Amino acid sequence: MTETKPQVALAVRNLNFYYGQNHALHDINIDFPARKVTAMIGPSGCGKSTLLRIFNRMYDLYPGQRATGEVLFDGRNILETGLDLNILRARIGMVFQKPTPFPMSIYDNIAFGVRLHERLNKADMDARVQDVLTRVALWNEVRDRLNAPAAGLSGGQQQRLCIARSIATRPEVLLLDEPTSALDPISTARIEELLDELKEEFTIAIVTHNMQQAARCADQVAFFYMGRLIEVDTADRIFTNPRQQQTQDYITGRFG
Amino acid sequence: MADRSHIVKSYEQELGQLRSMMSQMGGIVENQVALALSAIADRNEEAADAAARQDPDVDGLERDVESLAIRLLALRSPMASDLREIVAALKITGDLERIGDYASSIARRSLRIRGSDGQISLSGLRSMGRLVQDNLRRSIDAITQQDSNRAMEVWHADRAVDEYYTALFRELVTYMMEDPRNIRACTELLFIAKNLERIGDHATNIAERVFYAVTGDNLPAVRPRGGPTSIDAAAEPEDR
Repeated sequence: MTETKPQVALAVRNLNFYYGQNHALHDINIDFPARKVTAMIGPSGCGKSTLLRIFNRMYDLYPGQRATGEVLFDGRNILETGLDLNILRARIGMVFQKPTPFPMSIYDNIAFGVRLHERLNKADMDARVQDVLTRVALWNEVRDRLNAPAAGLSGGQQQRLCIARSIATRPEVLLLDEPTSALDPISTARIEELLDELKEEFTIAIVTHNMQQAARCADQVAFFYMGRLIEVDTADRIFTNPRQQQTQDYITGRFG
Repeated sequence: MADRSHIVKSYEQELGQLRSMMSQMGGIVENQVALALSAIADRNEEAADAAARQDPDVDGLERDVESLAIRLLALRSPMASDLREIVAALKITGDLERIGDYASSIARRSLRIRGSDGQISLSGLRSMGRLVQDNLRRSIDAITQQDSNRAMEVWHADRAVDEYYTALFRELVTYMMEDPRNIRACTELLFIAKNLERIGDHATNIAERVFYAVTGDNLPAVRPRGGPTSIDAAAEPEDR
């Protein structure tokens, strides 16, 4: 029996977003291909992080913020009311710019989220923790101190722990908002290598200010400017021969 | 956004420096070809010497362009049109250097065709020379003005160069058959014609690279070229 997997993980249709009176995203239409990395680039305030935060309904936490249009995920519009946000956030994981380990042990950082959604016995939980830590290439570094506080890890290790935590609930989509901007080049390379491996299983959307990072990691690149999606294409096309002058000006450093 | 210069001024300056070295190199090479052609047409020995003397300058510029381009690639991480321009410069500089070498070779050979005055008509070679010179000038203009239309003109004009070459080949073979004493001079002239054909070809390469750098698109892989000829395959313009 073959499992049919969707070609498009997230389909954004006529999406508009408002911070109160401020119209932050204008009529966005974009597909996020399944098991590919899509990078979102653009100057600060262009709306790229706003879009990322819509995907797991983070804006629900703030009054006055609202979205119209559709974001189709697994055949359902995730903007609908009545959606179980805990389930949505388990299926669409998020990693932030600064590593945000919980103030608990390394082990519990991972087990905490899993316990909310699954009942695993000790052996299965141990196996899950080991599995995700191995996949983020952290297992060998922490296997002897799983009960030590996560705060004792280096910044790069903490960020990998956060990615491990996100994938422990087995999401389909992984959202990353500037995941390496606070990390040194070696830790950054490790995370990029990790993304390359993770995309075999997950659909990844990454917001980055680092153009080279987008070029290195992404299959698809979307350029946003002033709340509009200016251009979306393969990374290859965007960085060698973009169609839009605004994209060209931004990526070559000519933006006035 | 009207002024499309870089936010980082030193980057803009380095790109400007790259462009200026390219046009300087183009100017020298163009001059070398003109001197070489004058060496043949006017039996001008001084011009022949002058053409060959410029080779070291061209070689030096080629090295300078290469090291600046590599520095730009390493330190500026150029993207899109900048990336295309720098990569094109790396390749164009090689084409210009080859053109310079062919011009020197023509100049040297021009000294060996004396004594055949009057026996062999040089008018075909002169016409071919003018055409090649014209193509080269346009391809160098295309570099300095980043002009894809100019590049396109050169690309279309190479066909005529190939046709000249084939006709000249036939003519020179006829001279040699008529009188074996012509063989020595005609052999030199054949090499000269071949060198001119090569120069035309490199000018076309340059045109293709400028077109890519400016538009981001490639010209078709197959160039328009001289029609099929029944003459000896040796007269075929070189494959590229």
